Amino acid sequence: MAVVLFLSVFLIAACGLIYELIAGTLASYLLGDSVLQFSTVIGSYLFAMGIGSWLSRFLDKALVSRFITIELMVGLLGGFSSTILFMAFTYTHAFQFLLYGMVIAIGILVGLEIPLLMRILRERFNFKELVANVLTFDYLGALGASLLFPLILVPKLGLVRSAILFGLINAGVALWSTFLFRAHLPSPIIQRAASIAVVLVLCGGLATADYITDTADAALYSDEVIFAKTTPYQRMVVTKWKQDYRLYLNSHLQFSSRDEYRYHESLVHPGLASVAGARHALVLGGGDGLAVREMLKYPGLQTITMVDLDPEMTRQFSTHPLLVELNSGSLKTSKLKIINADAFPWLEKDNSLFDFVVVDFPDPNNYSLGKLYTTAFYRLLRHHVAQRGVVVVQSTSPMFARKSFWCINETMKQAGFKTYPFHVYVPSFGEWGYVLGALEDWKPPTTLPAGLKFLTPANVASLFEFPPDLAPVAVEANRLNDQTLVRYYEHEWREIVR
Amino acid sequence: MKPTRREFGASALVGLGAKSDRKITGGFVYESQERGHRLRDKARFATPTERVKIPVVIVGGGVAGLSAAWRFQKRGFHDFVILEMEDAAGGNARSGENTVSAYPWAAHYLPVPDHNEVLVRELCQELGLLLPDGTWNERWLCHSPQERLFLHGRWQEGIEPSIGLTKNDAGQYRHFEERIAEWHASGAFRIPMDHGLDQAAAKARALDQITMGEWMRREGLYSPYLKWFIDYSTRDDYGTHMEDISAWAGLHYFAARAPEDKGPLTWPDGNGWIVKRLLAKLAPFVRTQSMVYRIQQQRKTWRILTEKTLYDADFVVFAAPTHFASWLVDPAPPRWPIDSAPWMTANLTLDRWPANHGVEYAWDNVIYNSPSLGYVVATHQNVAMHQDRTVWTYYWALADGSPTDQRRILLGGDWAWWKEKILTDLERAHPDIRQCVSHIDIFRIGHAMPRPVPGTIFHPERLRRARLQGSLVYANCDLSALSLFEEAQSRGVSAADYVLRNISSTGTR
Repeated sequence: MAVVLFLSVFLIAACGLIYELIAGTLASYLLGDSVLQFSTVIGSYLFAMGIGSWLSRFLDKALVSRFITIELMVGLLGGFSSTILFMAFTYTHAFQFLLYGMVIAIGILVGLEIPLLMRILRERFNFKELVANVLTFDYLGALGASLLFPLILVPKLGLVRSAILFGLINAGVALWSTFLFRAHLPSPIIQRAASIAVVLVLCGGLATADYITDTADAALYSDEVIFAKTTPYQRMVVTKWKQDYRLYLNSHLQFSSRDEYRYHESLVHPGLASVAGARHALVLGGGDGLAVREMLKYPGLQTITMVDLDPEMTRQFSTHPLLVELNSGSLKTSKLKIINADAFPWLEKDNSLFDFVVVDFPDPNNYSLGKLYTTAFYRLLRHHVAQRGVVVVQSTSPMFARKSFWCINETMKQAGFKTYPFHVYVPSFGEWGYVLGALEDWKPPTTLPAGLKFLTPANVASLFEFPPDLAPVAVEANRLNDQTLVRYYEHEWREIVR
Repeated sequence: MKPTRREFGASALVGLGAKSDRKITGGFVYESQERGHRLRDKARFATPTERVKIPVVIVGGGVAGLSAAWRFQKRGFHDFVILEMEDAAGGNARSGENTVSAYPWAAHYLPVPDHNEVLVRELCQELGLLLPDGTWNERWLCHSPQERLFLHGRWQEGIEPSIGLTKNDAGQYRHFEERIAEWHASGAFRIPMDHGLDQAAAKARALDQITMGEWMRREGLYSPYLKWFIDYSTRDDYGTHMEDISAWAGLHYFAARAPEDKGPLTWPDGNGWIVKRLLAKLAPFVRTQSMVYRIQQQRKTWRILTEKTLYDADFVVFAAPTHFASWLVDPAPPRWPIDSAPWMTANLTLDRWPANHGVEYAWDNVIYNSPSLGYVVATHQNVAMHQDRTVWTYYWALADGSPTDQRRILLGGDWAWWKEKILTDLERAHPDIRQCVSHIDIFRIGHAMPRPVPGTIFHPERLRRARLQGSLVYANCDLSALSLFEEAQSRGVSAADYVLRNISSTGTR
């Protein structure tokens, strides 16, 4: 009997130390400066334990049932501590506040444990023996935990699962206590049921530890998530609200099904309709197949080559029923050849010529993407364009990122294109811009395919007019060795995004 | 935009799911100390079995030797061989390659040459780096972002410390820049250095009498950030602390070039890229695994011995490190007065990138107050947007104390010991580095580059040896006491021109 009791002391001591180590480790990982993080976490934790021990004097009745409640609270709070802290770091700016809040809350509860347990055990042992044994097992538990943590738990389980596992041990001690101290409990069944419930919740947490990123998405998107997939290249999420489907890549909106026709008609038709007898087209990016859908309105087009980095993206948009409905099955056409490759190195190796090229990359918000908007890239691209061919580049918003837009225009110019910038209003995006590049003088088309929802032969030319607030500004071209565009872009969107 | 914080949080979640240190493979590469030391210790070598008569022998296939050959070939002269001790030519510009990337083993970039550097520009034109319209090929100019520094727990852009500067620090930076601009304008510092030496006034000569550290004190420059930056630069370029190096050499690094913002030129394989292209034309002249162990002066010719072949030549271009001459040449020249700095270079293969926060990965990544020089991302010039694996070239100049002691440390540590040194250093900026690295190859270079301590630049023996005279001429860049591609090329070409002038006049051709 005595051994079993002191084993509980050993276990709860181990749990207590583990939570403290987890908080310290997490803070060091996420905030850096491990000396500072560990010192402050250990300090506040020990201090909170002191508060707990002091508070224990105010608990006079029903000690066993209180002890069980405390164990369950520690189990839940400690068990989910790393999950909560990760989420807090990812989605809030209150990480430090929550960190110390949790450390103090857990510390107080853990500080209550030993004094309560000693009082519960008081009648069974003489005081001298009790103090000696409880403290011995307390310290032994601490040793066990501190060795287990770096050697086995962090390497094998990671922080999220380690915390939950030790939460389960706390809940286990609670459950076990409902049997051990049966005699002291007025209604052990209730306590037992509560313990089992906590065990189940924690088991659920353990089973879904890998899906925390997924549940986190729900918090990020205001609409219902109907499809989500993480590929080696990006995270794809499709949301639905009434009849509005939206695709997000790495949480950046790519299109809304309600108005994407405006974006894609403008991306394709002013350029493609202007190239008489166009036979070969190239799409760089655009794995959603929406630009291809528009291209298929030209029966004269013989081949479409799509170079998109992510095989999962093109696979999903070729096979997933819902996504296929959005692009009208455009990726299944026999005219289309899909190449899953990085566009810049692909262009370096390939030497085919195209009559029409769509460049539909994500906005240049980092240096890796910025490479795809440089003079070097456009020079290379120029060598793939037939003499009377045309390229159209999605060029972010001339409203929100005016310098970035005109920088792309300037960069294409310096790479040897005659440029014809234009813009269109896409409600879900705002005012959006494109740069059309040609090797010869170019004029907007006078005829368009039938059945377009937005463009007409009459309104195409008007897209090329810029009101004063979107008018050109002086900018530097974007080069591989001096990526001005990424700086413009970062600076401009920082002004817009809250 | 905002998601960086979220993305980072998510990546931290994935990263922390389960972690354990990976098994890291690797070993030492190019271990040639033994061969070199056999020369030093005058060990016995096999007698050559064949005899070849050839007008010119170039000893050493580094950039100096290859540049001499490049010049010969361009002048239509083909009666020469290059004897290279190692399995491959290239010297300090050698490179390696694995399934992830090519990578350099030492020199990894070429500053964009200014208008005075005629030879370097000629080579750049030939290699398609300098385009007919006078612009530089953007593909091989170092891509953005070029440099970053890990300072006070985070990365900043550029390696000149800029976080936490006081007004006084900033003032000292300006003071230093003004001095550099003055020295640049004086014309005493040029590349090639000989162009400046001719016009060096007594004031410039006096710089070779003191250390860079002493010069800083005399200028009243004591900002810890500036001192770190200067010391980093002297370690990076000379493998030597600023308290040990000649102020002339220290200032040459800053004052010799016109302020230039477009460069440098760089490639995954570093200057190995240039070497490969030179070898595409010159390989037929190169004899690898040909260690010269004796160069004997005959009545009018030279007898050059390798373990396979004996060469009878009229002229020798000695482009190997100059200190070797004391062991090889008979009669032996006076002792070479310039010591060399030991280095360790490692190429780390990473199966994934360490989690990164804030400033993006740059080409050159430096850790403040680290004993190492940081690392260069070998895949940086790759234009692919997505790269899951990478190679980092990590540099460490062993500059503390005497080079002899440092060489003992360099060769004393086994691979596992050096591996720990490297990972422990990188861990300061990348706590998860051990989960990312899968392979580390280490190159220990006992004599990596000349070490220009005070008195070196104007040392009579250096000046004498650098003069082209007789029928054995020296060409290694250590004659300049500066380990620069431009110096090696200039010395090699000058030696070739000298040989061409004299070989026709003596009529041996």
